[in-house]
Amino acid sequence: MTVARYEYGGDEFVFVELSETMDLNINFKAMAITSQLKEENLPGILDICPSNASYMIRFDPDRIHPDKLISKLKELEQSVSIDDFEISSRMVDVPVLFDDPWTHEALMRFRDRHQDPDSTDLEYVARINGFDSKEELIKAITDSPYLVSMIGFVPGLPWCYQMVPRERQIEAPKYVRPRTFTPERAFGLGGAFTVIYPVQGAGGYQLFGTAAAPIFDKDQRTYDFKDSITFPRQGDIFRYRSIDQKEYEEIRKTVEDGTFRYLTKDITFTPKQVLDDPKGFSEEVLRRLYA
Amino acid sequence: MIHVINPGLETTVQDTGRIGFYEVGMPPSGAMDKYSYTAGNLLVGNNESAASLEITYLGPELEFQEDTIIAVTGGEIPPKINGESVPMWEALEIKAGDKLSFDFVKQGARVYLAVAGGIDVPEIMNSRSTYTLCGIGGLNGGKLQVNDKLEVGNEKIRDVKPGTRIADHLIPSFDKHHEIRVVLGLCSYRLTEESKDRFFSIDWKVTPEANRVGYRFKGERLNFVEREQPFGAGSNPSNVVDLGYPIGSIQVPDGVEPIALLNDAVTGGGYATIATIISADLNKLGQVKTNETVRFVSVDIDEALAARNEVKEKLAEIKQNLSK
Amino acid sequence: MSQSKVLSPIPGVFYRRPSPDEDVYVNEGDAVSAGQVIGLVEVMKSYFEIKAEVDGVIESFAFENEDSIDAGQEIAVINVK
Repeated sequence: MTVARYEYGGDEFVFVELSETMDLNINFKAMAITSQLKEENLPGILDICPSNASYMIRFDPDRIHPDKLISKLKELEQSVSIDDFEISSRMVDVPVLFDDPWTHEALMRFRDRHQDPDSTDLEYVARINGFDSKEELIKAITDSPYLVSMIGFVPGLPWCYQMVPRERQIEAPKYVRPRTFTPERAFGLGGAFTVIYPVQGAGGYQLFGTAAAPIFDKDQRTYDFKDSITFPRQGDIFRYRSIDQKEYEEIRKTVEDGTFRYLTKDITFTPKQVLDDPKGFSEEVLRRLYA
Repeated sequence: MIHVINPGLETTVQDTGRIGFYEVGMPPSGAMDKYSYTAGNLLVGNNESAASLEITYLGPELEFQEDTIIAVTGGEIPPKINGESVPMWEALEIKAGDKLSFDFVKQGARVYLAVAGGIDVPEIMNSRSTYTLCGIGGLNGGKLQVNDKLEVGNEKIRDVKPGTRIADHLIPSFDKHHEIRVVLGLCSYRLTEESKDRFFSIDWKVTPEANRVGYRFKGERLNFVEREQPFGAGSNPSNVVDLGYPIGSIQVPDGVEPIALLNDAVTGGGYATIATIISADLNKLGQVKTNETVRFVSVDIDEALAARNEVKEKLAEIKQNLSK
Repeated sequence: MSQSKVLSPIPGVFYRRPSPDEDVYVNEGDAVSAGQVIGLVEVMKSYFEIKAEVDGVIESFAFENEDSIDAGQEIAVINVK
């Protein structure tokens, strides 16, 4: 394991890079440190932002000196272990229409910014990851659930990392030059992470489909948004489920009339359960989610 | 009530910002030049966190429908009441029926219009600041439009006599060339030593892509240390495993054009960040215009904290002068 | 005959055409009327229309298409009718 870097982000942020490499271990460690820090409720801490292999703190230097904060964080790095860390979160069924008309239209518009202008994003990522077809790629994405490893970019955007061993991780570069347009609820992949774009905007991830239900709703129209305008939380387990056009339209109707509700189940788990037996853990998640 | 006859180019309601929601990807928004914004509120007797209008480059034309006190602070976009020039950095009396308009920008990029009582729009996540990208906060989530009506709030906490001015030595002035102080760090290990030197030794020109989200600069290519990209980072040498971006952090996608991320920026992503603008100079950057030049100056954390204290002391001096 | 100067109220990039594939709004020597668009300035990802303030004839442009321009700079001179 590499040595963590503690860095000043000007006079209001401290950034801690636990590792340059993505790894479930590291993500759990960042989660464990930041949740311990939250519990300690130190004065002067304004934001605690766990991310994929790092985390960031925004603080008020009039109330806590950055060097004092950094020594506190270094202490936590030593004292916090993922062995006795428990995550209480949700398992969520996330329906996605793969190979849909909206992301297809968007990705065709920006072919000149792509590594491989002659295939679609699904075909390209399938090929470079050794799948025989885009259907096989979709199957690999939907077979095992993902951990929401970070939230950000824009409000509610979940970075998701699949809970499978490294050799089964799907990886793809981002676009050569970012698109200026990505449709709302587009489902994509970049690096080793899948995302859902909460709102339309610029983006550089490979586009595979469109999620049927929102993950961001500033007007808080449906059940899942009654407490917050964003839906995903770090530590959630998302299962992307491939749906057909008919089910997509049915879900859209319930979103629009305000009756949609995500299928979710609460779960409490330990990093060890995931790391020791990712396959068994995934199967257990799917069994319990759809029970 | 204030009637918007003409909204200007980009006029938004802003306050101290939406702090505490970075974790879910919500940037703080808020006034870009907090020094000028705060001075404005102090001049009209408001709470320091009352909402004001942030006006960029081209001023609006507003008709006041009630008698009140206003102040215009920030860069120099000269204000006029009923066509007659009025001073900036001064508490001004304005009457129902009076029209406030602005001349062309002379220096700086943004001015703040503080109104006694503050601009009253609903608070979203503890702030009235506008975040246009997601349509949150401010008036209907966006910049002002023709015929909008702004309500005045009740954030006034003390009386200030019209004609009260900010002392000259507390009024910033702005040039076309700017020195912006940064703390090197974050993922600066990704840049070659030569590129780190170059970053601090050339003048960077501000492109037209310079707004509340970020400022993009033109200069020369910067190079990253060669490495085998770590798992999950993406293939470009400027890519890292997606991480959080501090406000004021600077990234260099593909090494081509540095981008400073500001109040409405994305909160995280996969580009190596190399330095962070210190809080005192975020105020200054908010007054930098497209086509002007910036030289980045490296400071350490103690210098950054000292600069922050200087800003605080100036605001304390303003407060003290006003309470005399 | 008097002259009217058209100034840019904002900094940015000056365009003489509505889009790259279209003709310029007006040429030197063309008659224009008050309120007519004679160019665009792009800044902060938005385009601001530059309009003639008087009826007259375009005498000259001080900038070429895609030149950088500062706030308050003179874009064109119009000979007032």
